[in-house]
Amino acid sequence: MRRSMRLAPLVLALPLALPFIGAGTAYADGSASANLTPVVVNGSTGSGTAMVTVTGNTIEFTLAASGLAAGPHAAHIHFGASARHECPALSDEKDGDGRLSTTEGGPAYGAVVVSLTKSGDTSPTSGLAVDRFGSGPSIQYMRGGVTVAPEIATAIQKGQAVVVVHGVSYTGAKAQAKSDLNPALPASATDPAICGVLSASPSGGAATGAGGTAPTQNEGLLALGGVGLLAAAGTGAFAARRARS
Amino acid sequence: MTVALGVAGTAAVIVGLQPSGGPPQPPISALASTPSLTSALTSGTARDAVGLSAKFLSRSRPVGIAIASIGVDAQTLVTLGKQADGSLQVPTDFGKAGWYTDGPTPGQFGPAVIVGHVDSTNGPGIFYKLGALRPGATVSVVRADGSTARFIVDMVARYPKDRFPTNTVYGDTTQRAELRLITCGGGFDTKSGHYLDNVVAFAHLL
Repeated sequence: MRRSMRLAPLVLALPLALPFIGAGTAYADGSASANLTPVVVNGSTGSGTAMVTVTGNTIEFTLAASGLAAGPHAAHIHFGASARHECPALSDEKDGDGRLSTTEGGPAYGAVVVSLTKSGDTSPTSGLAVDRFGSGPSIQYMRGGVTVAPEIATAIQKGQAVVVVHGVSYTGAKAQAKSDLNPALPASATDPAICGVLSASPSGGAATGAGGTAPTQNEGLLALGGVGLLAAAGTGAFAARRARS
Repeated sequence: MTVALGVAGTAAVIVGLQPSGGPPQPPISALASTPSLTSALTSGTARDAVGLSAKFLSRSRPVGIAIASIGVDAQTLVTLGKQADGSLQVPTDFGKAGWYTDGPTPGQFGPAVIVGHVDSTNGPGIFYKLGALRPGATVSVVRADGSTARFIVDMVARYPKDRFPTNTVYGDTTQRAELRLITCGGGFDTKSGHYLDNVVAFAHLL
């Protein structure tokens, strides 16, 4: 941990292009959440929840996870216009070394677009600023007032952004592997541990009844209206009359 | 239908009125109490993170739900996602409750959502009595890992579907492990074939 805390923030050099040409559809404010589950091959047994509330181009996020490896856990929102908008699959492990590096996950989740740090900068520049992320087996924090690009706010609402928490525990040969992002770090410090696609909250209510036990219409009106009913214009007389039936 | 229109402008708390013979309704009709999303988040300046210390469980799918106080004891749960229009899927079986899989599992951090019908076309559904649930009641969710997540009900409220408080129900408003139980309530619109309101129970992990 001491070792990694001395590192200057580094840009995550992912191969995918960031720009999202053309403004997306303007999405209403809303919330999204991601179920964080283990990334294939890398052996994490952790799990967690990431939640994001979008207000214009500002987000508030909460990250809560447990069962993680010891050490720091860099965490990001990833997005790429040409990415698959999902967590990596086994087929993304291209080099056959038995672990899925952050770079190998790029085609699935795209580049880092927001660093979910606890303080200071939240841009991709802080992607490996491990002293400003959570650390240890269990992490739990929330942060507000984070500005994101308009296309990122839209991507979050459209189910195209992916939350990835990094930092795993390796044994044997894999423990000797160097990070694809910074050869001064072990691969275990930066390989993805748990991952989940941000999914917008369902819109509107739920259609959870077919009316088989509903009171008759008149009784229903009585129950709904009662003394508090501010009847819509033109229906007041109707409501008052029926209410006594 | 004029019946539907008559409800639209209502902003009242309704106490103790029950339709004769219909499903029980919660005492709170939260028709006008939808919190705004735009609270204090629009400053554009990132504040330092707030560390949290909520109790929560690791991920495990829910396989059953028991609510003794309203006679619910479901040994199976179906899985639900979103429909093409972005609204919540509901169980096709009126006798079964369903878990919304894009949300957390019950016991994980955040609001887990379990949904059930109040009725079918000819009789009560699995959540017929949800409106009779009261604060302090216990809800037990059995999980695939063999554990049981126990929740305590905080509030049961009724919301018009056309002003459903999406962020209050699904969003990160409580910073802890919570449960939402959803069914239908209020008046029934025979024209559309749907109830006008949703009844939502809010509970937190013990």
